[in-house]
Amino acid sequence: MAKWANRISFSLCILLLILLVACAPKTRISENYHNPDVDFSLLQTIAVMPFANLTSDQMAGERVRNTFINSLFSTGALYVIPAGEVARGISRAGIDNPWSPSAEDAAKLAAIVGADSVITGAVTEYGEVRSGATTANVISVSMQMIEKESRKVIWSASSTRGGISIWDRLFGGGGEPMQDVTQAAVNDIIKKLFY
Amino acid sequence: MTLLKNFSIRAAVLLFAALVCLSSGAAQNDASAEAIDAGRLGGAEDLKIAVFPVVNLSGSAAPITTIRWLLIEALKDADATVIADDVLDSVMAKYRVRYIGGLDQPTARAMRQEAGVDGVLITSLELYNEITPPKIAITSRLVSTGSPVEILWIDGVGLAGDDDPGLLAIRLVKDPQRLLRRAVHHLAQSLTDFLSGQRKRLDLHPPPKKFSPGHIYRSTAPLAVKTPKVAVVPFFNPSARSFGGEILALHFIRQLWALENFHVIEPGLVRQQLLEFRIVMDSGISLADVDVIALRLNADFVLNGKVIDYQDYQGYNGTAKVDFSAQLIERVSRETFWSVKSHHQGNDGVFFFDWGKVNTAYALASDMVQLAVETIE
Repeated sequence: MAKWANRISFSLCILLLILLVACAPKTRISENYHNPDVDFSLLQTIAVMPFANLTSDQMAGERVRNTFINSLFSTGALYVIPAGEVARGISRAGIDNPWSPSAEDAAKLAAIVGADSVITGAVTEYGEVRSGATTANVISVSMQMIEKESRKVIWSASSTRGGISIWDRLFGGGGEPMQDVTQAAVNDIIKKLFY
Repeated sequence: MTLLKNFSIRAAVLLFAALVCLSSGAAQNDASAEAIDAGRLGGAEDLKIAVFPVVNLSGSAAPITTIRWLLIEALKDADATVIADDVLDSVMAKYRVRYIGGLDQPTARAMRQEAGVDGVLITSLELYNEITPPKIAITSRLVSTGSPVEILWIDGVGLAGDDDPGLLAIRLVKDPQRLLRRAVHHLAQSLTDFLSGQRKRLDLHPPPKKFSPGHIYRSTAPLAVKTPKVAVVPFFNPSARSFGGEILALHFIRQLWALENFHVIEPGLVRQQLLEFRIVMDSGISLADVDVIALRLNADFVLNGKVIDYQDYQGYNGTAKVDFSAQLIERVSRETFWSVKSHHQGNDGVFFFDWGKVNTAYALASDMVQLAVETIE
């Protein structure tokens, strides 16, 4: 009888240990950062730099940037400097690497084109992914905003959309069109900027 | 058994008769469509027109000489006075006119003084594909040689052989020449309507709302001028389509001209300024360029944009795809007054048997641009 009691108490101890481990606080890594010291309502004019394209699709950076600029513009919350004016500003500021400018370069450009802040970005994944016989479109994009005066990164966000869902695996279909996936990712990033 | 046999023969005869009737009806429609209605003309004979060689923006070999000849024939049928080729050639050689996609001030002056020309017909072939079903897209405009040089009329047409195949595909057009004649007829009809005082566009039907732009920004300020002057500069073209920037700029010129609330500056004049001031647009127009163009042409707005996709397809299977963004920059404030982004495919909203499918990028872009420019007002 004592033997059985020992076994039960031992099992209970193990179970308790597992439950205690499960209760450990989970470290949550956010995909979004807002500098708490910055009043974002004061930012009215922004310049969007060309995005770094880390994918095999040569047009990916340009496509995502174009979608982002127009989506941001259509919110009416911010004035976006025309892309041609940004290109001229990059040339005038002598920025060698506009895809990932230094804080000084970003501030210099902002001063030239009259922007309050500069947004830079990178497209890390763009195109079709395959798993077995199933394919779908996927996009991963990250952006950050550098403020002109403080030269600090005041906002950063990333988003991944698309990919192979259970529905795709079961019924096929090839997933969402690339444009829809891009739009979803851009909308997600804009939502993270404002909220 | 005999009764059944008789019934089968009767049914076959009836079906054959119905087929013959449908075919003859279709043929009659074509014949009437391809004949120019001479009764509606009037005023065309007062104009002396020079027909420039056709600009080939299709990126492929095309019968541009035939297109020009068909246009000249259509104008002559409309009693318009077309100057002889040798006269046109001598003026072009004397003044070293090499650019035929627009009319700048010196060329317009030369045409008027040397050949007494009142207007120049400038035609751009944007698509020509002979693979069945054939596809063709043409834009044509009449530009005055007077001062100021301005667009008097502009229209375009984009056709595919399978646009309206009809029952059992009896209206399917397989002959590229037939489609070409039909396209030229559309343009000639529109031009003669204009010359006779009836300003009318070809695409009178309102475009389907499914091709509305995805994102629109429009300044809250009202238009400062009642009929603002707009200079359209060629769009930045990172797409795979050759001359996509020029083609989309022509779409915007045509739709803005058709709105009647805008005065669109002849693109030849805009090009002249771009060349004179050595303006090269790497990835769009800068505000300094806007200042120069607007000041020199006395424009209230400068329209610029980017073509991401402008895709046509060959044969029956495929989808036309158009993706562009455009922005209207105001001269005085130097700010974007209006901005739009639109992306669509020819089979958007198509679920059964290709019903409602748009077969050419031209027709798709035409609908998209029309819906986009309507949001400016």
